[in-house]
Amino acid sequence: MQPLQSPRQPLMAARAITKTFDRTRALAGANFVLAEGEIHGLLGANGAGKSTLSKIMAGHYSFDSGEMVYRGHPLQLRSTRDAIRIGIAIVMQETSLVPDLTVLENIFLPELGRPGRLDYRALRLRCAGLLENLGQEDSLPLDWDVRRLSSAQKQLVEIAKALGVGAKLIIFDEPTASLSPGEVDRLFDVMTRLRAADHGLVFVSHRLEEVFSITDRVTVMREGRTVLDGLPTAQLSQAELIRAMVGAELGAIYTEPHAANSATEQRPVALSVRNLSSTPAVKDVSFKVHAGEILGVGGLVGAGRSEAMEAIFGLRRRTGGEVLLDGKPLREQNPQEAIRAGLGFVAVDRRTQNIVPDLSVKENLLLAHLGAHRGLFRAYQTREHRVQELMQRLGLPQERLMDASMLNFSGGMQQKIIIARWLLLDPRVLILDEPTKGVDIGTRASIYSMLRDIVAEGVAVVVVSSDFEELLGVSDRIVVMSDGRSIADLPSTALDEEKLTLLAAPRTSMARNTELLDALAHEYNGAGFWTLIEGDRFICLNSVVTRPALDPGFKPGDARGLAETSIPRALRQREAIFVPEQDGSRTTLVIPMRSPRGHDLGWVGLSLPPDAALPPPELIKSRIDSLAATL
Amino acid sequence: MSIEKPSSMRSLTLSAPARALRIKQLAQRLEVRMLLLAILIALCLSMLSPYFLTRSNIFNMLDQSVVIGIVAVGMTFVILTGGIDLSVGSLAGLTGILLGLSLQHMPIVPAIAVAVAAGAGIGLVSGLLINLFGLAAFVVTLGVMAIGRSLAYIVSGQTAISNIPDAMQAIVYTNVLGIPSNVLFLIILYIVAWAYLAFTKGGRTIYAVGSNKEAARAAGLNTLFYSVLPYVLSGALSAVAATFSISQILSADPLMGNSMELDAIAAVVIGGASLYGGRGSMIGTLFGVFIMVMIRNGLNLMGVSPFWQGSAIGTIIIVALLVERLVSSRVNQ
Repeated sequence: MQPLQSPRQPLMAARAITKTFDRTRALAGANFVLAEGEIHGLLGANGAGKSTLSKIMAGHYSFDSGEMVYRGHPLQLRSTRDAIRIGIAIVMQETSLVPDLTVLENIFLPELGRPGRLDYRALRLRCAGLLENLGQEDSLPLDWDVRRLSSAQKQLVEIAKALGVGAKLIIFDEPTASLSPGEVDRLFDVMTRLRAADHGLVFVSHRLEEVFSITDRVTVMREGRTVLDGLPTAQLSQAELIRAMVGAELGAIYTEPHAANSATEQRPVALSVRNLSSTPAVKDVSFKVHAGEILGVGGLVGAGRSEAMEAIFGLRRRTGGEVLLDGKPLREQNPQEAIRAGLGFVAVDRRTQNIVPDLSVKENLLLAHLGAHRGLFRAYQTREHRVQELMQRLGLPQERLMDASMLNFSGGMQQKIIIARWLLLDPRVLILDEPTKGVDIGTRASIYSMLRDIVAEGVAVVVVSSDFEELLGVSDRIVVMSDGRSIADLPSTALDEEKLTLLAAPRTSMARNTELLDALAHEYNGAGFWTLIEGDRFICLNSVVTRPALDPGFKPGDARGLAETSIPRALRQREAIFVPEQDGSRTTLVIPMRSPRGHDLGWVGLSLPPDAALPPPELIKSRIDSLAATL
Repeated sequence: MSIEKPSSMRSLTLSAPARALRIKQLAQRLEVRMLLLAILIALCLSMLSPYFLTRSNIFNMLDQSVVIGIVAVGMTFVILTGGIDLSVGSLAGLTGILLGLSLQHMPIVPAIAVAVAAGAGIGLVSGLLINLFGLAAFVVTLGVMAIGRSLAYIVSGQTAISNIPDAMQAIVYTNVLGIPSNVLFLIILYIVAWAYLAFTKGGRTIYAVGSNKEAARAAGLNTLFYSVLPYVLSGALSAVAATFSISQILSADPLMGNSMELDAIAAVVIGGASLYGGRGSMIGTLFGVFIMVMIRNGLNLMGVSPFWQGSAIGTIIIVALLVERLVSSRVNQ
């Protein structure tokens, strides 16, 4: 393994880096070694410190202790300008471009500060050269104002800008978060060219698919430490990466397995959402939550989960569908009515959507009370008793209530106070969007036990999270969203992280998979489907039916036993031949789909009428393989 | 901004370390520091001019505080929500003219009502433009300021209206318990405004809106209503200020209230409010008003040329804020 460890000369080496913000320790010994001519994945769950580390490398922050060596020289950056001067640039999600200047001016922004006249013709030529090297000659209109560009184009401007100042090391901070599949391909093409030109690239992401398809080596961070230091990507499996990101100890913080699902199914439905839409982010979302149940909402960043929750709560205009609380429709679309009807909502961004910095801790705690309260006066004393009770539950001393600012508390404590703000009102349904973002592991455990407590009291809880481990650990049931639609509603016991990833990641795979299923079903006039099978249970990821008679007996998102479908024999047998069913209704071919790296991507099936002319199974298999190769 | 402070009576019985803590807590309160600053300025001025601390001059200063003090109440509300109202001066001019004209046709009380309603209505328009259409408060109220002054000239026919009924003087020159009625009105107005901000749902909402509007909305507070309300109040109080001013001089001048917005904003800011919203208090503003009036009065007593007074006041405001900023970062360490 040694020769692969650092294929070339190290470009940047960071050792034992620590960094503390106020009271939170963001990095506690981070190591990272980047070689020339490689794409190096930097992975970690929320709050693992990957963003902090990349911002330290880019000069946004300074580090407290540790050592950074760049091209053999020790390095202490004081500003991003320092970093750019020596050839380190970062391409961020919120771009650092000036919207009112043209593309050309933005690319050469650093030059605008130089004295003397600008030679636009020379700049134009240099710019054309830069873009040609990236293989993107015609992608950028140089004279447009940057505000007119798409986010992929803006990203390209950022890359060109980095190259314009001669950057050698380029950090891509979650570059694919807002790109369409085609744009991701183009970005990867650009990155590959940069690698070939001996640049060192850091790819910060939590999308495993992409990490496997683009990176040469991977470094994984957890709790501010490097736990997996620059291993070749090809030697790792998805499961190993997930384990490294999540850590073994996390399993222990989720309390005992969930109550039997049958029990919650019989409880009354507390919140029901039907065909909710809120253009453009939310297209068609439906789900139900029972009293005394935790429902997880999973999906990727940009799937429209936060937007859907905001639309339910009335913070965002609904364009269709309905929301029922205890069977009564929630017609008024404003938070006040939602709160009075018994809904609580911990929004995703603590600092901008939840904390009121100039009010005391006590008043922050009582803010939702103020919103729900009718009457002229603030009526704090009516909640005095409950406030004290909650403070005890949070483990917060009484005198800290009067603290002038929430900002003096750790992220975890702030989050607990925000949750308590809603518990004070005894809601029927509590929605929490990424409740453990930026929260240390100890507080995470106590937030989970808080949630268990309130569920035990009969409250219905909805938890939105990008952290699949967390979703699986806390929820009784999980709804997966993708591209603004709810696409699956399954008990969490039927799921694991790989299945969730497959369910949540359809924006690349699902569209092309549907194309394939569609083509198969129409060419052979049958029914196509894509499922995950484990033991005698399966989950349907996708299906296309051209003849009602061939309906396999399940829809996308369904999970059940093999025996409960119309094609139990074929699903059990899973051989590379068409298997006729016992009732003679159809004959079915089920073929495994594997990624080029050997990951299980489930099974693709094709059902045909028993009397149909059967195509050769190898032909179908090769079509599936060619899809899997590029998925 | 927490307002529940334990009764200060109890501090008499506290032990020494507890008393030290209490003193530190007191020093942390902005109002206390502003009071000390006001006393300091009063002492300086009284040394410079023997006439400064006489009974008649104190009453004189209280009298001078009324008009600016009333406008500063509305301004405090607006600034607490993170806004600004530049139109108060010209609205005082316009509503003053409206009052003067109305008095030609109707009794005093309805005439005042017309002026106050006009001020409130214009404030409502500004507030809605700012909060419904997301326009910048600075720009909207700057526009209203220009329009207001221009209308004041047009409606008045470019001259002061001087045939104001003498009965108006009763508003100012009635003594209740030895206190002139206009000063009494100011005191009551500040008590009501303070209590509103401290103890009512609306008052706390105004703080929350100024501090973090999005969080306030997500907690179910009616952010639109309480963002617009301060502008309505500010417009109405401009008219009230104009009423007191006219009662005193029995003349309505279209130029009235010229550059009053600057004095009001200065008073609020000296009183410790943050122009970003969410921080400030009525007590602080009251001290801010007193400090402004004392300085102006002191400079007059010393015979400083009016042309120099602007420079002096500007310098004192900036120095006071600078000192306050340095002190507060020390105290809050």
